[in-house]
Amino acid sequence: MTAPLLKIDNLRTYFYARRKQAFVRSVDGVSLEVGRRETVGVVGESGSGKSITAMSVMGLISSGPGVIGGSIHYASDKVQRNLLDGLENFVQLEQSDGRVMAVSKDERGWQKASEKLMAGMRGREIAMIFQNPRASLNPYLSVGEQITEAVRLHGGITAAKEARERALHWLERVKIDTPHLRYNTYPSGMSGGMCQRAMIAMALSSEPSLLIADEPTTGLDATIQSKIVDLLQELKSETGISTLLISHDISVITRLSDRVAVLYGGAVVEYGPARQLLDAHAELKHSYTAALLASVPNEQKIRARANLQAIEGEVLDTINVPPGCRFYARCNRITPEIRDKCATLHPELKEVAPGHQVRCWRFVN
Amino acid sequence: MKKYVQTTAAVSNFSSLPLYQRFSIPDLLYVGYGLLIVGLVLVSYVLGAFNLLPHDPQQINMELLMAPPGTAGHLLGTDFMGRDIQSRLILGIQAYFLPGLLAIFIALSGGIVLGVLAGYRRGYTETVITYFTNLVDSFPRLVLILLVIAAFKPDIYYIMMVMGVTGIPAVANAIAGKIRVLAQKNFIEAAIALGLRTRVIILKHILWYNCRALLIIQATLGMGEAILLETSLSYLGFGVQEPTPSWGNMVQSGANYFMQGNFWPSTAPALAILFTILGFNLLGDGLNNILEGKRSR
Repeated sequence: MTAPLLKIDNLRTYFYARRKQAFVRSVDGVSLEVGRRETVGVVGESGSGKSITAMSVMGLISSGPGVIGGSIHYASDKVQRNLLDGLENFVQLEQSDGRVMAVSKDERGWQKASEKLMAGMRGREIAMIFQNPRASLNPYLSVGEQITEAVRLHGGITAAKEARERALHWLERVKIDTPHLRYNTYPSGMSGGMCQRAMIAMALSSEPSLLIADEPTTGLDATIQSKIVDLLQELKSETGISTLLISHDISVITRLSDRVAVLYGGAVVEYGPARQLLDAHAELKHSYTAALLASVPNEQKIRARANLQAIEGEVLDTINVPPGCRFYARCNRITPEIRDKCATLHPELKEVAPGHQVRCWRFVN
Repeated sequence: MKKYVQTTAAVSNFSSLPLYQRFSIPDLLYVGYGLLIVGLVLVSYVLGAFNLLPHDPQQINMELLMAPPGTAGHLLGTDFMGRDIQSRLILGIQAYFLPGLLAIFIALSGGIVLGVLAGYRRGYTETVITYFTNLVDSFPRLVLILLVIAAFKPDIYYIMMVMGVTGIPAVANAIAGKIRVLAQKNFIEAAIALGLRTRVIILKHILWYNCRALLIIQATLGMGEAILLETSLSYLGFGVQEPTPSWGNMVQSGANYFMQGNFWPSTAPALAILFTILGFNLLGDGLNNILEGKRSR
């Protein structure tokens, strides 16, 4: 078996809350794998660290201290490297009880070394699409010209005319009608869905190996969302691109993912095949996943006029992370035997079925 | 009868309209008038530079003191020393043209560098630059200029350099603000994620596509301001020194004879100042409306 395309290991990305003089542990030990031709969905509430994980992979974290540890192994046919290779030399951590209490980071050195490692990666190997697509496009440049720019940057095509043809081809592939007319349209003249299509065209025009889709459907109409998902699905089967799909919308995750990682409080709490993990009736699952699934409206619930089940409590305070299980305060499946452990010890990911891991004391014997 | 025509671009928005469709009649008049003034200024500059004047502007003619406008050979009359006002008016633009360009150049280049640094780097750099621009902004410009004149000499180039430096904050703030808006819309992030180099993002996407209108407008307004500033300084006696003519010192020297009924020696340059500054300001305004679409439609 070949190595996975992307292997994130124990990634930690912290920010510093100056007023509180404390670290915001946005991503605190995320480990993930994206195989070739595979779509991995990352799901979780707001503030669970989904987007920060994606931005860490792209090296887009700009406020300090940012990424402080872990490794991101990337292995496509053309490039094999650890995107955080040797960067730990720029960081010194002071820990007590396994918790990081102080970070000193040579930000300049890190940035320089990181840029070196990211050279030729952004756009060419890893492409990214964002939520709120219109804001990601240059408002003063027509959509077609922006795609042409991407093509000329990565596609190895320098002739203006050829690049234009290529851009038109991609506009057509993402199913924008009358691409010749749309080529000259500015982002403000297109709907959100069309802007997202244009972003997808721009991202895929360089034929990258990995696509990071950060909430690609958020902020779009429900019908448009569905169409964008269809498009992503189609392009995925056509090009065989691997995707790291980030969303808080379980229905989007369900439709696109092969594997799913559930993030809570900056760590993966459950990771496994989409079918097993998203099956609401399966018993082997983290109580957070169960609660997430229970909060999704479906036809039966609507027919029965049942209230949607919200998850009680608040999202984890990533500044004062409790020592025990991060979901302890909101969990409804704690049994008396494990209560003490839940409150004081952070559980490890434990394999409960082949390829299916859960971070919960209930599955640790 | 009103006619409604759909343009070829199916969905159009102001910034996507071709330039010629963005004009409204007042804007067209503003810009037309502004360009006319710019043209006149250019022509006057060239005439002055090659000394193609109707009369020698320095020649004193004791027989024709205070000749009224329309006197044979002297279209705008003569001043209290019998010098031809028309020639002096044309030559007067020399005092503004290059110094004004210098001021604009300093303000724009300094503003671009500081603005980009503040907007792009953020954090510590931004704080330092903000303090610097606030410091420059809070200092009264005229006082600063008088200080420089006192320390060196009353030279128009010194004055315009100070004017350029004091013009930096406005440009820097505008550019930094623009970048901040773009960063908020994660457009810069998306550009980095696409693999564009920082240089390309700053020069092409930020400065050229998003700030060019702003820079053109700042430049035209700056020229008007330079003339106004020189005028006020000349009136105080600190600007361009006699016998070199500038519109400011022409108004000043002519003002002494104004109450005696000889109004033309100061009125002619005053009107020139009025129409020229109006021209530059309207040009800036019109360009702003056309390029940026500030007018609510």
